[in-house]
Amino acid sequence: MTTSTVTPEIVTFAKGVRAALADLPPEEVDDLTEGLEADLAESLAEDLRRTLPDPVAYAAELRLAAGLPGRVPERGMLTGLIDTWRGARTGVAEAIARNPALDSVSEFAASLRPLWWIVRAWLATWLLAAFFGMEDGYWFEAAWWVVFLAFAVVSVQGGRGTWRLPGVKGVVIAGNVLALVALLPVLAAARSWGGQSDDYNLGYADGSSSESSGDRKGLSLDGQPIENIYPYDAAGNKLTGVQLFDVDGKPLLPNRNVDETQVQQTPATLETGAQAYNVYPLTVMRMTYDDLGDLVPDPNPDPDKAAAYANGPFLKVPAVQGPPAPAAEVVATPNE
Amino acid sequence: MDATQLLKGVLDVAVLAVVEEEDGYGYDVVRRLRAAGLEDVGDASVYGTLRRLYSAGALTSYVVPSEEGPHRKYYGINAQGRAMLELQRKVWSEFSTTMNALLGTTTGEAA
Repeated sequence: MTTSTVTPEIVTFAKGVRAALADLPPEEVDDLTEGLEADLAESLAEDLRRTLPDPVAYAAELRLAAGLPGRVPERGMLTGLIDTWRGARTGVAEAIARNPALDSVSEFAASLRPLWWIVRAWLATWLLAAFFGMEDGYWFEAAWWVVFLAFAVVSVQGGRGTWRLPGVKGVVIAGNVLALVALLPVLAAARSWGGQSDDYNLGYADGSSSESSGDRKGLSLDGQPIENIYPYDAAGNKLTGVQLFDVDGKPLLPNRNVDETQVQQTPATLETGAQAYNVYPLTVMRMTYDDLGDLVPDPNPDPDKAAAYANGPFLKVPAVQGPPAPAAEVVATPNE
Repeated sequence: MDATQLLKGVLDVAVLAVVEEEDGYGYDVVRRLRAAGLEDVGDASVYGTLRRLYSAGALTSYVVPSEEGPHRKYYGINAQGRAMLELQRKVWSEFSTTMNALLGTTTGEAA
């Protein structure tokens, strides 16, 4: 029997081997590694060129030769999940391969992969743009198109397997799952975003045609709310109690958003007893906020403005020449 | 052909044969296998195989204290191990005959 020195390297190596076997019962580890240091010392003494192998690989070889099960991975749950996923995928792949119909469907789906690469790039861009409030319906504002292009390149290159880095695959799978989960809510959000302006227009149309219109509805001119109309007759004199309707007989209602215009209109009363806001000019009152934040009649109205509210912008306008004009003709051009 | 792959299948019988000749401790068995021509044999594979044969009841084991350095664990063959070795000798013999015959007749045609 040769006696050899057990160097610190050997001790460290043996420790590493035992650590890699640590999931086995202690007696088993002892049986497997008893005399390991001595054996290694002898081996190294005999073969001076020999270097110590990787303790984990060494332990795996020991295990395999001893007919023991492979190391139970420490990342128990995650690895279990991944194994389950792989198992399920293999199972599905086999089932598909056995069924020609499914096989062709799967082939078709595989040919759609490039589409998915673009979709996920769009999704990523949209989410990022939305984070900064710069999404625009299904799309984005100017500079985000550059971001989208960059994402698309990354996504397609990744999809084509241009980059084969360890760990990337897991990230990609997780990303795809996340993208699939996020896709529907994002589409819904993008849709409702896109619908906003439509909804607004719809509400606007409703408002101008409905007697019971609430705030933010009614007539407007170039986007500015019209809170009152001052009609003049053919002779250029002020009219009162003029009822305005459109071709469908809908009353032309003023804008009654008092918060914005700070003007409060008083409706006229019709002979039926109904209150009507399409009777012009309406009696309006300049409003203001008091110290408590309540909307109250302006205690110190601008005299010129107050006069205009009461009497209209002009006392008299130029008369219309000739016979009474058709309804569509302009009645007067405001001037001095 | 990769000899290490073949070795895996016959390591049991090789280890049994070496130990039958004379009791040995782990590295001693490795050394004798290598000396016999199995130069690629890995020591961990041999230690594991010894352990497995022992668990299977084909080997006995005893510890020899050492005055300097760690103890040595020796393995020796027992009746069951001899029976196993005999059986595997036959299996190997038949197998190698078959393979020799097969390879001998087809050598010319291969290539």
